[in-house]
Amino acid sequence: MRRQLALIHFALGGLQRRASKSVALVLGLTLVVGLFGSTLLLTDALRREYELLADRMPDLTVQRLVAGRPSLIPEATALMIDDIPTVRDVEARVWGYYFFTAIESNVTILGTERDGESLDVAVEDGRLPRAGNEVAIGNGLADLLGLRVGDEMGIPLGTEVVFSEVVGVFGDDSSIRSADLIVARPAHARVLLGMAEGWATDLAIDLTTQDEAAVVAEHIAERMEGARVLDRRLLRRTYELTFDTRGGLMALLLVPALAAFLLLAWERLSGLGDAEQREIGVLKAVGWATSDVLLARIWESVVIATLGAVSGLGLAYVYVFFLGAPGLSDALLGWSNLRPAMQLAPAIDPLQAFSLLGAVIVPFVAVSVVPAWRAAMIDPDRAMRGGR
Amino acid sequence: MSAPAIAVTQVRKRYVDGNRRLDAVAEVDLEIPEGALWVLCGPSGSGKTTLLGLMGAMVAPTSGTVEIHGQDVTHLRDHHRTQVRRERLGFVFQDLQLISGMSVLENVLLPCVPSGGASAEDAARARELLVRFGLKGEIEARAERLSGGQRQRAAIARALVLQPKILLLDEPTAHLDTANALEVVSLLFELRDEGTTVVCATHDPRLSDDERVDRVVSMCDGAVVSDPEPQA
Repeated sequence: MRRQLALIHFALGGLQRRASKSVALVLGLTLVVGLFGSTLLLTDALRREYELLADRMPDLTVQRLVAGRPSLIPEATALMIDDIPTVRDVEARVWGYYFFTAIESNVTILGTERDGESLDVAVEDGRLPRAGNEVAIGNGLADLLGLRVGDEMGIPLGTEVVFSEVVGVFGDDSSIRSADLIVARPAHARVLLGMAEGWATDLAIDLTTQDEAAVVAEHIAERMEGARVLDRRLLRRTYELTFDTRGGLMALLLVPALAAFLLLAWERLSGLGDAEQREIGVLKAVGWATSDVLLARIWESVVIATLGAVSGLGLAYVYVFFLGAPGLSDALLGWSNLRPAMQLAPAIDPLQAFSLLGAVIVPFVAVSVVPAWRAAMIDPDRAMRGGR
Repeated sequence: MSAPAIAVTQVRKRYVDGNRRLDAVAEVDLEIPEGALWVLCGPSGSGKTTLLGLMGAMVAPTSGTVEIHGQDVTHLRDHHRTQVRRERLGFVFQDLQLISGMSVLENVLLPCVPSGGASAEDAARARELLVRFGLKGEIEARAERLSGGQRQRAAIARALVLQPKILLLDEPTAHLDTANALEVVSLLFELRDEGTTVVCATHDPRLSDDERVDRVVSMCDGAVVSDPEPQA
């Protein structure tokens, strides 16, 4: 142990003596780990957000397809379904999208009579709407429009402008769910969405057991023409696959970057300058064994790799959770990129972090071993003549 | 009768470059007794440094044997040769003196690193040597800030920090002005008088012509050309 500590101390001094080379390698590693880490953190954060979202979805969602496209569904359809065994509750939901031209953003309008708890979004400021044209809005939307509780929000509909009173702003515990949300009473939501009374967007169905979802879906399809039944578990699996695939593809694209960096590192570590050769010659002449020189060089690589990997992960953390991963989020979210921009909840999976660090540190140290061994094998006589 | 400090028997070091063969050292026989100060002299390329490397177990001979205190080090594996170097030999190179970027003290304590770093005793000995060699004010200075003579003395201090019985020096007075060279020469005789075996490769007459030298061995083209018997 004392020997290792002494060699580590010497290795740290070596890094200092070759500062420009060390800094270049640390910066290169930081960049590569930053790229990998950003993909990993963003994919993971998005998956976590969607898992939260999926957990709060109804067991089954029923849409009505007309000419192959989702269309409004009569509220009375709920009555055709609620007597199917294992169906606990059927709710006709009023919701839809509205495109704000002023901010070039889609927002989600939801009409509900539920309270905050059952709606499962936290109101950070104010309260949920209780009547009339009251609305509660997501914090992202509030920030974009510069709105606060008590303000009036005008929404252009055709040639008219419909005004709503902001009575609440949601917090950011799960922004992917609430950042672009406008919650209103169903009647006001219908006005905003241009939807007639007696119609709903879809039906949300809660079951006594999710295991019967497939059977219930079959019954619904038999009773309702043009029904499309979405199973929560299948949706969740789809989200997972989507983000795993996209994240995996991104990571795959970055593999050549890692390989290129490792090649560069090999090149840099293999090319011993005169000063380094002389240093090794001195060390061997004063009684250092080949293994001592090798270990000192490996410790140098471990320190470089650890510094680069940790700072790269830190960079990725800041890039994803504080800067919102500009550029990368577009690639991962694709067309479904929600606007206003959501704020991902900062979190890091220790297992994934260690896997990432291992995936970079181990190959880096591995590629440094052979050059280190070659350097350590230099005959002191040859080294003292400058490697000639 | 005790074994000589260094015994070199029929030693040859051949370098092969394509079809060309060069004997840097050719069939040299030498026996250096303990506590003697020998000088290997000769022009550049005569094989002095290679012979010193062979004596220092840093270079393996092509043929012949090298013994250190009676132990044949010719066929030792690398780590055993390293052990011999660490325990019995101190080596001072002509150009490979100190590592820049490290303090003088750190340089002197370099041999202690593989055994777990310098103990308090090692550090005290290193300081003592530096003070003795006139480097008291430079102990914590960066190596690159020392003058040529100071570097040479610091390198000798480093070679002595593990208290070796044999000190090998390659051109210890090269590039030094007369005052500095004489200081280094005096130091070598002091060490010899304390019982250390000293072998210097040099073509500096300030050292080779000094009458206190026990023996001067002249080399040319890898061979010993003049090896006079020691004076009584």
